Amino acid sequence: MSETPLLQIENLTQHFPVRGRGHKVVHAVDGVSFAIGRGRTLGLVGESGCGKSTCARSIIRIYEPTSGHVRLDGQDITRLSQKQLLPLRRKMQMIFQDPYASLNGRMTVRALIGEPLRAHGAAESRRDEEDRILRMLEKVGLTREHAGRYPHEFSGGQRQRVGIARALILRPELVICDEPISALDVSIQAQIVNMLRDFQQELGLSYLFIAHDLSMVRYISDEVGVMYMGQLVEHSPAEDIYAHPLHPYTQGLLASIPVPDPSLARLQDEEGLSGDLPSPIDPPPGCRFHTRCPHATGCCREEAPALRNVGGGHAVACHLV
Amino acid sequence: MSQPWARAAAAGADRERIAATPHSFGVDVWLRFAKKPTALAGLIAVLLLLACALIGPSLSPYSYDKQTLSLAGVPPVFTAVVAPEAGRYFYITPNQKIIEVDDQGRLLRQLPMAQDLFMEKRVSYRCGPQDEGLVYLDYSAAKPALLDEAGNPLAATRVLWNRTYLLGTDHLGRDILTRLMYGAQISLMVAFIAAAVNMVIGTLYGGIAGYLGGRVDAIMMRVVDIISTIPLTLYVILIKVCLAGGLVGIIVALSSVYWVDMARVVRGQVLSLKQQEFVLAARTIGSGTRRILLTHLIPNAMGSILVTATMLIPSAIFMEAFMSFIGIGIAPPMASLGTMCNDATEALRSSPYQLFLPALIICLIMFAFNFVGDGLRDSLDPQLKR
Ligand SMILES: Nc1ncnc2c1ncn2[C@@H]1O[C@H](COP(=O)(O)OP(=O)(O)OP(=O)(O)O)[C@@H](O)[C@H]1O
Ligand SMILES: [Mg+2]
Repeated sequence: MSETPLLQIENLTQHFPVRGRGHKVVHAVDGVSFAIGRGRTLGLVGESGCGKSTCARSIIRIYEPTSGHVRLDGQDITRLSQKQLLPLRRKMQMIFQDPYASLNGRMTVRALIGEPLRAHGAAESRRDEEDRILRMLEKVGLTREHAGRYPHEFSGGQRQRVGIARALILRPELVICDEPISALDVSIQAQIVNMLRDFQQELGLSYLFIAHDLSMVRYISDEVGVMYMGQLVEHSPAEDIYAHPLHPYTQGLLASIPVPDPSLARLQDEEGLSGDLPSPIDPPPGCRFHTRCPHATGCCREEAPALRNVGGGHAVACHLV
Repeated sequence: MSQPWARAAAAGADRERIAATPHSFGVDVWLRFAKKPTALAGLIAVLLLLACALIGPSLSPYSYDKQTLSLAGVPPVFTAVVAPEAGRYFYITPNQKIIEVDDQGRLLRQLPMAQDLFMEKRVSYRCGPQDEGLVYLDYSAAKPALLDEAGNPLAATRVLWNRTYLLGTDHLGRDILTRLMYGAQISLMVAFIAAAVNMVIGTLYGGIAGYLGGRVDAIMMRVVDIISTIPLTLYVILIKVCLAGGLVGIIVALSSVYWVDMARVVRGQVLSLKQQEFVLAARTIGSGTRRILLTHLIPNAMGSILVTATMLIPSAIFMEAFMSFIGIGIAPPMASLGTMCNDATEALRSSPYQLFLPALIICLIMFAFNFVGDGLRDSLDPQLKR
């Protein structure tokens, strides 16, 4: 691992002030560190509200991170002004969760896909711009006739293709996919994931692929990170996490995946997740998972576990492992 | 083995195609708008009013400022006295002039006075084709009466429509229909310019305040608060008094005040829109503030902007009419609906139609624009419907 990773984040922390509650803050992301190499995919999973989107948005600087560092290609971009950041945005694009809300309904598909080109002055001429837009449309499985249409004339899957075309037209190196398939029909999810994989092979992209359950990231990830209440609790090569989940939370997540064939239900007897998510304003002391953990001990309630490497690139934050 | 898989994929593609809807946004809005009878009626009324105001004055044989004093103060419908001569009628105007009318209701002339017999409280007028006849106007009673040459009262009357001036003449003998159309043109022009200026100022001001947020927003909106605590009427009057009179003054006065509502509306819209994913997407793409404001935020707030602007037109028209009515608006000979109302108050008792007609047009314009605005709001944003 001598080569610098494309994206490296260190102790990324994002707190939001709570209105009318004195100096209290929402601990949306608390000290998350990971790295993504070129051409690789990190799947980030966790329950709703655990801070996945916030993490993505802090990386791409929709939010100003409270503390920590984000390095893109070795360059620290955490404290760059939006103006200094502008040229770097070409390298880093995002695909959003909601294909309905993430496309401006008053713009045609042509204008939507062309916006990155115009924002960066990337096209040499109007001809060139049009060419690139049409080529991109065809690459994501739409046709040139679609260019003049408005987003509401499309289905969810087609809209998400438009969103992907918009993210990829600048040929970025890193694409942050914030639950790109969660809002789609199961039959279309596979098409979209396959398309993303094809693009990865063709363009050598790196993905930060966010999903809320482990089954969705299985086919696309090289590594998987599991988040709980703003913290990374387990991080390992993809196959490892499905074969040997170490953190009780990861085990719970895996148990909650419906298994089509009962004979394969090796995790069926293990417990799923129960209990409610504690408030992110006052996270529990010690290990944040102890309120829901079936194996919690006294130590878990007092001391926060650090993310430890247990060998083979597998890291886990749990006292019991 | 690959057969069932291929079919499933095709089915997936089909369902995506079926889900696509054929209408564009504009067509959708229009369909919803046309379903509302009040909105449609309002739109038709607005179009008719506009057509009358814009092309009416040039089709009219009269000009708005040409005075025909001899035919002043004739209403659109009047009761005329049957003259001794066949097919002739006399109409006694409120200021006791006698106008000869033919049986169609065309005004022929004002009878020339022959002699003022003030001892007998009568005035004699010449009549007939060669001025050979005489009629007497007897003003001894409260209601003046006409007497023929022999001194017998002419009792028979007939109600006639005014065919020369369809809506009558005002106290200076100007055609009211022409003046109404011309006045509506001036009023609408003032309102449209004021609304357009307000729209631009309010949209940019509110848009910038909403998008930048934070302290900039707080300061900008306090300014708006301060402006809007001053009663707008008073404010407009003050501006108008300080500025040069006439059309420009009134437009400046109206334009500089009403944008505060627009600014509030746009700010509210932008505040909620800027959290939406498509705006975040534009930011991650690297679009600048200007592009985000002009291509994302304002077009999406256009519905509320249009509705607010449409609602602004009737209030601008009312304000202009009000100022002209109290005498600080449009200067004569230019006419607006408000100055017409003002002119009419002098002769209110004897000729109420002179006030009624412009007032009716003001009401019509206000109703029509309010209905259109309501319809627009409902059809642009079906969720907003109460
Ligand atoms: N702009 C914000 N201001 C205040 N709190 C926020 C903001 N954005 C997110 N949060 C809070 O941060 C926490 C994490 O939210 P986030 O959207 O990152 O979750 P998520 O993991 O993406 O969930 P989901 O799977 O539902 O998308 C939540 O408790 C949320 O209420
Ligand atoms: Mg999210």
